[in-house]
Amino acid sequence: MPIIELKNITHAYGAKKVLEDVSLNIDPGKLTCLLGGSGSGKTTILRLIAGLEIPEKGKIYIENKPVTDDSKILIPSHERNLGFIFQDLALWPHFTVFENIAFGLKERRSQHIEQRVSEILSFFDLKDFDEKYPHQISGGQQQLVAISRALVLEPKILLMDEPLSGLDVKLKRKILEHIKDLKKSFDVTLVYVTHDHREAFAIADQIIVLNEGKVVEAASAKEIKQSENEYIKYFLEY
Amino acid sequence: MGGKLIKYPIYVTVLLLFVLFIIIPVFYTLLFFEGDWVENLKLLDQRILYLLVKSILIAFSIASFATFFGTILGFLLYRTNLRFRNFYRIALMIPLFISPYILAVAWKDLFFLFTGNSDRISSETGVILVLGIIFTPLSMLITGNAFNNINTHLEEAGLMITDLRSLIFKIILPLIKPALFTSFVLIFIFSISEFSVPSYFGVRLFTTEMFTQFSAFYNHSLAVLQSALLIFICVVLLYADRKYLADAPFLSYGGKGKKVKIFSLKKFKISDELFVFFWFFISVLLPFSVLIIQSFKGGISKFIQAFELLKPTFFSSIWLAFLGAAISVFIGFTAAYISEVRRIKTFDWFLLFVFAIPSTIFGISLIKFYNHPYLDFIYSGFVIVIIGYIGKFSFIAAKLIGNAIKQIPQSLEEAAQIEGIGFYRRIQKIVFPLVLPAVFTAFIINFTFSIGELGTTIMVYPPGSEIMPVKVFTIMANAPQSLVSAMTLIVLGVTLLLITIMYLMVKPMLKNYSDANY
Amino acid sequence: MIRKIFFYIPVFLILLLAGACVKQKNTIVVYTTVDQIFSEPVLKEFEKESGIEVKAVYDTEETKSTGVLNRIIAEKENPQCDVFWSGDPVRSAVLSQKGITAAYNSPVAADINDVFKDTEHHWTGFSARARVLIYNKDLIDPVDAPQSVFDLTKEKYKGKVTIANPLFGTTTFHIAAIFSVLGEEKAKQFLTDLKNNNVVIATSNGDVKKIVSEGKVACGLTDTDDAFEALKEGENIGMVFLDQQGIGTLIMPNTVCMIKNSPNFENAKKLIDYLLSRKTEAALARSCAQMPLHKGVLIPKNIPSLDAIVPMKIDYNKTAQKLEEIQNYLKEWVEN
Repeated sequence: MPIIELKNITHAYGAKKVLEDVSLNIDPGKLTCLLGGSGSGKTTILRLIAGLEIPEKGKIYIENKPVTDDSKILIPSHERNLGFIFQDLALWPHFTVFENIAFGLKERRSQHIEQRVSEILSFFDLKDFDEKYPHQISGGQQQLVAISRALVLEPKILLMDEPLSGLDVKLKRKILEHIKDLKKSFDVTLVYVTHDHREAFAIADQIIVLNEGKVVEAASAKEIKQSENEYIKYFLEY
Repeated sequence: MGGKLIKYPIYVTVLLLFVLFIIIPVFYTLLFFEGDWVENLKLLDQRILYLLVKSILIAFSIASFATFFGTILGFLLYRTNLRFRNFYRIALMIPLFISPYILAVAWKDLFFLFTGNSDRISSETGVILVLGIIFTPLSMLITGNAFNNINTHLEEAGLMITDLRSLIFKIILPLIKPALFTSFVLIFIFSISEFSVPSYFGVRLFTTEMFTQFSAFYNHSLAVLQSALLIFICVVLLYADRKYLADAPFLSYGGKGKKVKIFSLKKFKISDELFVFFWFFISVLLPFSVLIIQSFKGGISKFIQAFELLKPTFFSSIWLAFLGAAISVFIGFTAAYISEVRRIKTFDWFLLFVFAIPSTIFGISLIKFYNHPYLDFIYSGFVIVIIGYIGKFSFIAAKLIGNAIKQIPQSLEEAAQIEGIGFYRRIQKIVFPLVLPAVFTAFIINFTFSIGELGTTIMVYPPGSEIMPVKVFTIMANAPQSLVSAMTLIVLGVTLLLITIMYLMVKPMLKNYSDANY
Repeated sequence: MIRKIFFYIPVFLILLLAGACVKQKNTIVVYTTVDQIFSEPVLKEFEKESGIEVKAVYDTEETKSTGVLNRIIAEKENPQCDVFWSGDPVRSAVLSQKGITAAYNSPVAADINDVFKDTEHHWTGFSARARVLIYNKDLIDPVDAPQSVFDLTKEKYKGKVTIANPLFGTTTFHIAAIFSVLGEEKAKQFLTDLKNNNVVIATSNGDVKKIVSEGKVACGLTDTDDAFEALKEGENIGMVFLDQQGIGTLIMPNTVCMIKNSPNFENAKKLIDYLLSRKTEAALARSCAQMPLHKGVLIPKNIPSLDAIVPMKIDYNKTAQKLEEIQNYLKEWVEN
């Protein structure tokens, strides 16, 4: 049973169609990559799942519950129990690392905030930076803060929009390892958007290849690697 | 759109209140004015249109002049290692705190003192120079803030491939285009509806013509018709601004740089420092030494007398301006947020519409609408004065805050949305703190303009009340020059003092955020 | 969310109420175009004597805001103002022509010459100013000073004469009076000659005073109050009552009128009586050199008595009408 289900989604920005009749499933507990070039619609899919955009047509189900029905929102973003890592990370510049992570908890009046935040900070080796502002820490640390911020709320699903763009290869590899572990450590389903097939093959269980607003193929990483599809073969060459 | 609007009850409430209290009165006046429309339309002849064109050209020159020099000063004072830049940032603002009329008088006196002849300043060029100098600090403030907010990476990327000169022209200036436009549009509208300076210099313009209709012929309807023309021009101007800027790619700043890069002036340092000092000398030292010399001509006693005269006005004026500025900023923020983030521009147009109406006509509209027995509770009290301030200056707040909101990456708000932070909490915790410097700037500017507002206030102030600029102007007639100059300096002192106090109070908060430098 | 809205509504209501609280009972509202430094002390004195609180709206010719008169006109459907105190007869005449004034024949004014009163009692004159010529003694020898307005068109004063913009204030009235006395044709000729003699147009009478004092222009026409102010400031200034051998000097009384349907009718009468009293005339004589219209009011020595001046013989209401007729002509005259 898929945890996320898109049925016949069509979406446009003004006159520009970005998704056309897209249907796809994402399995629970897995790391699924949405792979595609720019303009393929991969980020849009992520934003639709998150509820940051409203589709024109089609239905989205999360954990079997319909969250949107055509352009009607049935369940708003924050009730979908998911986390989102933005491409620019979207760390709040006026909050410290601690405050960035604790903010959501505080607003939800959660208990044991300090403890939960410090647990997650230790998990990512960020203990020493809790009083720092985002601009005072390195790029890699910023990624981890963004991930901590999402995970501290214990989402079922973590959506990541090319979070590693702009990091060096070594750092990328290290953080990819972290991400791979998240599935187990945090019991979360991951949806990871990237244009880099190496990144995708390094971590993905499932890969959904997109091109010009349509699904080209959805399969396991292994199958995609061996796909006979012309576009995929072409895409993987680079 | 209806469904969309209902989602923002505060926005809708504020918008409706604004329409109810300010837009309806103005429409009421514009549409139901006694007077023969056909007759009046005939009076809009070639000569008037010629004056209109002349006014447009002069306002255009003033806005270009002020934006040009304001941008240079903004860059030098906000982005370079120029000496005493913190001092200049405050000191150069001084012309804004004083009514243009008084500065015009000081300039004329000055010209006479040095050249023995004031003909040269009593001309179109004089109007452009004096108003240009007065409005330059406004442009400096607007562009300076924008300079501070540029993504440093964009600049650094530019520096990799080119020198500072082309960096400024090819990268930095295009990036702050919205600020340049805002500066231009605001100053254009201010100048085209400015009446006191051209009238004092004896330069015939559209506004002086309108004033003549108003005060020599008591032809209200023709004056209203003429102001409708002015409004039309301002609306066209803003529409062009919208068309040109709305979805332009350079607005998508995305993430911001880490730290504001301070450029070292190196070999231009001395010439730039001389330039800024020269500007300070011309725009502040010269006219104000005239005022100071004049006010001490009568000894210290004139100062004491001036203070005694103004004393009863302090409380009401400060309180009204404070309240007016606070409400304007609230309205400006609401309008700007919905306009920038939700792309609903209705409110913007209303704000512009009122901003473009000449003060006196706005005052008359308020009287015509509010002076009814059942609205007496508004008209006979201070509320009417505050309504005047809000109508006149909310547009400025909306523009300044709007530019700042534009620069916040949307993802910052979306990140909070996903975490389940409600709309108002997001505004309160994320958006508002990030635009706080702009909100503060908007507040200060609105406060300054409100505390000095004369045109509308003098039409509507409650009988028997004491309001600072009204008092200065009504005392001015037949009072010795020394007393008038002393009063001007006291007004300036009080305004500067209040702004300093407000700045010191807000500073800890600003510090916190500016350190973050997202 | 709803709570927030309910938070803002009371804030607005409080604001509105704050306005409502301003109203009081025993008050009178007066709008005046007389300079605040002269009018305020008189009103304060009335307040002290009568116990009636005076709420004033001041205005000033100087800055050309002309808020007051336009405000009264705009407010006419629901008058806020009880008494209008004008520095000249024109504005009162304008209001009465627009049907905004009420008639009141004050007993205090019984001995004031009827010339200075509206026949229907819509306005009544008191303390008067005169139009005079001031000159800078550094530039013009007192023996050489012009003695008639017609001297001002002479070659020897070319470019040396200033008048305030005749579209506004007392200057308009002066020109209208000249039209009344000379007739249209001669008056227009006079203005043309003045123009050809490069007359300098100042922004106001105060400005005339200023530029003559500073020596920017040698001489100019202004009101006695400005002239006395110039003399008092110790400038090197001389003053001439013009045309004492000819058409006479224009005398401009202050005028006061009651506004129709004014809210404080009874208090309005009291203030008007007070303004028309000898006491007020004496006070204005001291503070701004205005000449009393009552006989025998005690005045400072340096103030001329009205008896000693040959006045221009005009009907003030008709002159005010004349003024409206010539406005367009004057506008052309100024602009071209």
